[in-house]
Amino acid sequence: MEIGPIWRAMWQSKGGYLLIGLQIAVTMAIMVNAFAIMQERASKMGRPSGIDEANTFALASVAFKPDLDYQSLIREDLEMLRNTPGVINAVVTNSFPLRQGGWSEGLHREPGVGKSVSSSAIYFVDEHGLETFGMNLVDGENFTPAQVAWDSDSDDFWPATVIITQALAEDLFPDHEGSYVGNTFWFNDDNPANIVGVVERLQAPWPTWTGVERSMLVPLIRESEFSRYVIRTEPGRRDELMPQIEEMLSASNKERIIRSVETAADARKLAYLGDSSMISILTFVIGLLTAITGLGIVGLASFSVARRKRQIGIRRALGATKTAIVRYFMIENFIVSSIGIVIGAILAVALNIFMVQAFALTPLAWYVIPIAMLILWTVGQVAVAGPARRASNVSPAIATRSS
Amino acid sequence: MLKMKNVSKVYRTDTVETHALREFSLTVDEGEFVSVTGPSGSGKTTFLNIAGLLEDLTSGTYELDGRDISKLNDKERSNVRNEKIGFIFQSFNLIPELNIFDNVDVPLRYRGFKADERKRRIEQSIEMVGLGSRLSHLPAQLSGGQQQRVAIARALAGEPRFLLADEPTGNLDTNMADSVLDLLGEINAAGTTIIMVTHELGLADRAKRNIFVRDGQVSDGAPELHLASMAAG
Ligand SMILES: Nc1ncnc2c1ncn2[C@@H]1O[C@H](COP(=O)(O)OP(=O)(O)OP(=O)(O)O)[C@@H](O)[C@H]1O
Ligand SMILES: [Mg+2]
Repeated sequence: MEIGPIWRAMWQSKGGYLLIGLQIAVTMAIMVNAFAIMQERASKMGRPSGIDEANTFALASVAFKPDLDYQSLIREDLEMLRNTPGVINAVVTNSFPLRQGGWSEGLHREPGVGKSVSSSAIYFVDEHGLETFGMNLVDGENFTPAQVAWDSDSDDFWPATVIITQALAEDLFPDHEGSYVGNTFWFNDDNPANIVGVVERLQAPWPTWTGVERSMLVPLIRESEFSRYVIRTEPGRRDELMPQIEEMLSASNKERIIRSVETAADARKLAYLGDSSMISILTFVIGLLTAITGLGIVGLASFSVARRKRQIGIRRALGATKTAIVRYFMIENFIVSSIGIVIGAILAVALNIFMVQAFALTPLAWYVIPIAMLILWTVGQVAVAGPARRASNVSPAIATRSS
Repeated sequence: MLKMKNVSKVYRTDTVETHALREFSLTVDEGEFVSVTGPSGSGKTTFLNIAGLLEDLTSGTYELDGRDISKLNDKERSNVRNEKIGFIFQSFNLIPELNIFDNVDVPLRYRGFKADERKRRIEQSIEMVGLGSRLSHLPAQLSGGQQQRVAIARALAGEPRFLLADEPTGNLDTNMADSVLDLLGEINAAGTTIIMVTHELGLADRAKRNIFVRDGQVSDGAPELHLASMAAG
């Protein structure tokens, strides 16, 4: 390879190359860290919520007649929902994962006033909650119908049994070994909760919460004018059933309205809107930056080809093939890019260390830098290809024709 | 051996056609030292460019070393230039960004020689033109005569069979021109075929054979004829 003389020739007019090298370095540093942020957001978005998102939707029934018998209304509704063909199961609940609104409680390992040791999202469900959410029960048992309580007004009634997530169990009982089933903890200072089952995963309604994996099912149905139903359909039937069910519930009782019909997928989109727009913005920024750098390379190479037209002709006269001329500019670009990329990689790591400390970003994955390198090398080579091809078409006769 | 038969070269632009060579025929044998003179615009450089495979001919045949040049593709032509032909130009044509060593190295790299072979040839040819102590100078740091010597070293390092020179002394004073001609004489004595275009009859006479070109055609003739033509042209 002819790296030696190319390098020495570049050294004679280093200014332009230095600027482009620097631009590549900055692009590299920004690209890598943008990737890191995007990757973090994407992995956050990639966490499963624990429910069967693709086939789940929710709606709310709001009664407007003052003294309606809410309990019978809910029973009728649930009966109807569960008997609708295509519906796997349905439950009345206060919230569901990704909804961004819900209930949480501080938890204690001992009764009495004191500092809580953990906290958890609360989902009030009956014994159909497990199947409706599509959760994986890894230990213990589901609620029995007898364990499900109805609560008409007071907030201070708590059932004594719960199903909790694995993550909550580990947080509550960090030193515990073996099954968590049978363990007891307390809410509200003195309401005991006995663990009857453990599920693998069920996210809290707030994806941004650090304790998002900690939640529990409480076997309680709250009777009020407002009830939220979560409905799980057979795969692929959600969209068909949604309007049907909305219609059916509306028609079944004229003293309430049905609203807030939304799919779990919609809820996910909304919950991660910030993250997905961040990814879009960063993609755009990286694309723009890379394009600008690519154009800079095209510009420098074009200028360099025009400036060296004569020497290209001389090289051709001395026996350079067209390929050799193209290769010359490719190698030249490779050298500039490599220097920029290496400096950029160092900058990128420095910037990442800073961001990890300042913004608690997760450190770079090992493959981000090699990927960014590959992208920038490719951009450089593609950008220089046009000018290089033009250079190879310079006539060797230029060596004798112009002075 | 170089053999051109009825070679024509026409330059076409949108509005004009220039017949730079017409029915140009010439044979140069191995080991000759041929000078080419003629009025400005008569086609000397055009002839040399075609002889050196820098330009295509429009019609006619050209054989170099028994090969029909018109049948070669661009890559093959590049290789012939690289292996068989050395060029010396009026304006030296050294690459300004490269030092003397790297300049002489250029054709050798295209030839694909190994590093030690290149180094040997570079040092040897630069030594021959008497610039052994200037290897790391840039062209701009040398006098015109020295630059032309480097160009000669570059042309010779690949040991070409043919050396083509277009006004090699055009930018040099008489002393330097003389010494360059001495050098060419030595090179020719060592077996390299030389074709040299020049304006100066005094230099042309140092060649073994003189060719006079006029209106794109060869007219072998006496120096008086040259003078008369040039005065007329
Ligand atoms: N690329 C070109 N396009 C058009 N016409 C050209 C081109 N190159 C040369 N010519 C014309 O061809 C003719 C021969 O030119 P050439 O350079 O061979 O002359 P020359 O004998 O070398 O002249 P000089 O002694 O001035 O160097 C001239 O009329 C010139 O204008
Ligand atoms: Mg000329």
